[in-house]
This record gives sequence, C-alpha cells and structure tokens, in this order.
Amino acid sequence: MDFWIAFWKICFVVVLALFAVLAVFVTIGGYRDIRELFQTMEE
Amino acid sequence: MNEHTAEILSQTNFSSIDWVIVLLYLSISVVIGLFVRKFVVNMTDYIGAGRALGTCLGIATMTGTEMGLVTVMYSSQKGFTGGFAAFHIALVAGIVTFLVGASGFIVAKLRESEVLTIPEYYEKRFDRKTRVLGGIMLALGGILNMGLFLKVGSIFIVGVTGLSAQGWALPLVMTLLLVLVLIYTTLGGMFSVVVTDYIQFVVLSAGMLVATYVAIQVIGWDHLFETIVAAKGQAGFDPFVSEGAFGLEYVLWMAFTAGLVSCAIWPTAVARALAAKDAKTVKKQYMWSSISFMIRFLIPNFLGIAAFVLITTKSPELNALFFPTDGSAPLDNLYAMPIFLGRIIPTGIIGLISAAMIAAFMSTHDSYLLAWSSVLTQDVIAPLRRNGMTGAERIKCTRILIVVIGLYILYWGLFYKGNDDIWDYMAVTGAIYFTGSFAVLLGGLYWKRASSTGAFLALLSGIFAVVGLGPVQALLGIQISGERVGLLTVAFSLFVMVLGSLLFPDNSYAMSEARREALNDKAQMQEV
Repeated sequence: MDFWIAFWKICFVVVLALFAVLAVFVTIGGYRDIRELFQTMEE
Repeated sequence: MNEHTAEILSQTNFSSIDWVIVLLYLSISVVIGLFVRKFVVNMTDYIGAGRALGTCLGIATMTGTEMGLVTVMYSSQKGFTGGFAAFHIALVAGIVTFLVGASGFIVAKLRESEVLTIPEYYEKRFDRKTRVLGGIMLALGGILNMGLFLKVGSIFIVGVTGLSAQGWALPLVMTLLLVLVLIYTTLGGMFSVVVTDYIQFVVLSAGMLVATYVAIQVIGWDHLFETIVAAKGQAGFDPFVSEGAFGLEYVLWMAFTAGLVSCAIWPTAVARALAAKDAKTVKKQYMWSSISFMIRFLIPNFLGIAAFVLITTKSPELNALFFPTDGSAPLDNLYAMPIFLGRIIPTGIIGLISAAMIAAFMSTHDSYLLAWSSVLTQDVIAPLRRNGMTGAERIKCTRILIVVIGLYILYWGLFYKGNDDIWDYMAVTGAIYFTGSFAVLLGGLYWKRASSTGAFLALLSGIFAVVGLGPVQALLGIQISGERVGLLTVAFSLFVMVLGSLLFPDNSYAMSEARREALNDKAQMQEV
C-alpha cells in the first residue's frame, strides 16, 4: 500500500503542475490566436 | 425531508452575490456570442481556407468542451466511492490519448480518408445499409448516454446553492435548464464558438486549481491520505484489488473507454480530428491534449475524495445523511462534491466557478443535441427516403429531433432508477455504439478483407452491451459487472466482424455499385 500512496502523491502533484503550466501557456497563446483570428477576419 | 436535514443542506457560501455573478457571466457569454456572430461566416471561410486554429486555441476548445459539468460530476462521484484508486482512470486516459497521438492509431487513418463523420466513413468503405445501421446505433447509444446529463447538472446547481433542502428543487431546476438548453441550441448553437470556449477554459482551469488548493488547505494533505487508509484500506489506493470499487477487468475497461474510445471513437472527439488541417496536426493536438484528458478526471476525482474526507471526519451531520446508521435511505452521493464546494469555496469565487460550470453544461448539451439529431437526420432518415431531403427539410427535421431528445432526457432523468455510478452508466450505454464501431473501424481501416456483412453484424452486436445496466440485469435475473459485459461485447464484436467478413466477402461488383451510390449521394449533399 505504501507504494500506491507514494505513487498517487507523485502522480497528482506532477499532473497538477503540468496542467498549471499548460493552462498558463494555452491562456496566453490562445489570446494571441484569437487576436490573430479577428485581425485576419477584419482584413 | 425534515427541518433539521433542510437546515444542514442549506449551509453554503453561495450567496445572492454569486447568483448575480452567474447571471452576469451567462449574459456576457450571450453578448460575446452575438458580437462574434457577424464573423461566424468568415470564420468558416477562414478555417475552410486551410488555415486551421492555432494549437493553443485548439487545446483550449478541446478542453473547454471535454471538461464539462457532467464530466466533473461523474468523476467526483468516482473519487467519492473509490478513493485514490480512482486516479487510475485519469492515468490510463492520459497515457492512451498520448499513444493515440504518437501513433495516429485510427484518427490519422480516418483523417486521411477525408470523411467528415464516422457513418459517412461506413458508407465510403462498406455500403449504405452499414451507414444507416451505424447511424441508428450511434444515435441510440448517444441518446441513452446523455439520458442522465440533465439530472446530474441539476444536482450540481441544487447542491452548490443549498436548494437541496426542498424536494421540488431538482425537477424544477431540471425543467428550467432544459428550456434554457433548447433555446440556446435552436438559436443555432452560435454561442459555442471558439471565443466562449476559450473563456470557459480560462475560468474553469483557474477555478479547478483554486478549488484544489482550498480543499488541501481546509482538509490537510496528510489527513486526506490518512482518512482514506482508515476508511478504505488497500482498496482505496490499489485499483487492481478486486474487493474494492475496481479490479483488473475495470482497469482494462477504463483503458478502452476513458482512453481509446473517449479520444478516438466518440463522435464529439473524432469531429475535431476529422476537421483538422492534416493527419500531422491531429497527432500533435492529441499528444498535447492528453494532459487535459488526464486532468478532467484527476481534479474532480480529488474533489470527490476531499468531499468524502470532509463528510466522514469533519461534518457529523453530513455523515449522518450520506452514511445513515438508522436504516434510512442515504442521500445520493452525487450531492457530495457540490455540497463540499459550497461549504469551502469563498463567496464570489464559488459564483464564478458555478457560472463557468453552467456555461460548460450548456455548451456540452448544445454539441450533443446537435450531434445526435443531425446523425438521425443525415445518416438514417435522409438515406432511407427515396427522394432524399432538401436543406430546409433537414434543418426542420433536426430541430424537431432536438426538442424530442430534450423531452426524453427530462423524462429519463426523472424516472430512471438504476443504482450504477453515473460514469459506469455512461460507459455501458455508450458501449452500444462504440463496441461495434471499434470493430468496424479497426477492420475497415486496417484489414482489406473486411466486408460489409461483417461490419453490419459487428455493429448489431453492440446491442448486447445493454445487459450491463442494473435495471436490465434485474429484469433478466442475472448479475454480471458492467465492465465484464463491456469487454465481452468488444471481443464478440471483433469476432463477428472477422467471421462475417470471411464467410460473406464483398464481391467487387456490389462494392463498386455501393461506392457509386455513395458518390452520387455526396454530390447531392453538396448541391443542398
């Protein structure tokens, strides 16, 4: 059981950190994509 | 429900300020939808011109759609009942999605075949009768699958706002939500555009991370693990322990459903792959989205576990409601996570999270109602009519079906009496479609000798999956786990596909006739 407790602790922290980084990356990149999208459509 | 219980359930941080936030958020979504509407035609041109959405926006819209309220609810229920062992669902979903992206298994080949829907592929590769049966099985599995969406979404609203004190609250919220969803969808689904999906992604991502942080602060990291050890023992952590909520068969079933089916066979996910710029883009998007596919199970699982710990160790009055010792009926454990959020998340933030959840709920319903009604129109009714259907007839038929399906989910949510966890119910009902579809896609894409008779029989064999539902088993007087029924149906569909193809191979004349018919129909569709 100790293996599984350690495994899920590491898994949870790693995935959460990955998601936090992805969320920031996608939020900034997505904003840039939307601006580009609207500029293209305006043109 | 007595006054004492009503008093317990109405304790929430959700205040009138939060109601204002919810109304404001939904109103702003509508305004953005109206503003973006003038660009929608251009946007279609923009994407159609071969310039697909950027990767970031692609991931945001994929996550915004996939991380809906229903997903959060059924995943938290799994955490509540299964403990940390439920994390295996997130892990296998992420790993399988990544592997599908890396290898291009099914999705890249499907993209190369240049079809826009899976039933269209059935006709292109096999024949028209396979397309019609594929459409029927897809709609049957899909509509049954979303049968409890309305109830689950309403339970969240009722639980988080403290309305659960009144017995009339759930049916009333269900009816109001259905009316909202039908208006939203029949307006043309115009709000489900990339901008609102992007906003949903930002608010929901931040909200989920904040909720996780607050949950750890309130309950304590070590206390979470200690409580699950005491309450569930080894079964609360090891998913392979068959005495727990899962077991080896369940893990395999999850690798297939939460992993392969969710990303490579389920129509709403495949639609994105089929609309992508090329097969290379599909692979890239799937590899990145594997993190989102993991997190959409993992955080709600965690919130369900946190709700279990709060209820069993810090709130004796809630513990008495969810785990009564006096023989009375326990409160539906779907209420656990929303009640938990209502108690720990501060006023204001809970309103913002709820608003984003409701917006995601509307967006999911919109996509699904349109998906199943258009499958019935385009792949079942239109091909069966001798003179085809005009564009106006197709739109009218789709709108009528949207209302009919909406009324069905209201009825089903109020009267279905199964005791299965929502996720298990969804896996079994979805299996009516995806077990046969997996065999047909695998055979069609990777085996030259796959025949239309084999495909037809494989699709038909998916119907055996209904045996996995509790009420059906009660009717038949048998007891088999849903995952075992699902895995056996997958194996049976594959067997039937191979046997049917070997015993009844396609003759080349019949196939060329069928393909010519398909091409004629496609030309007619383009004219419409």
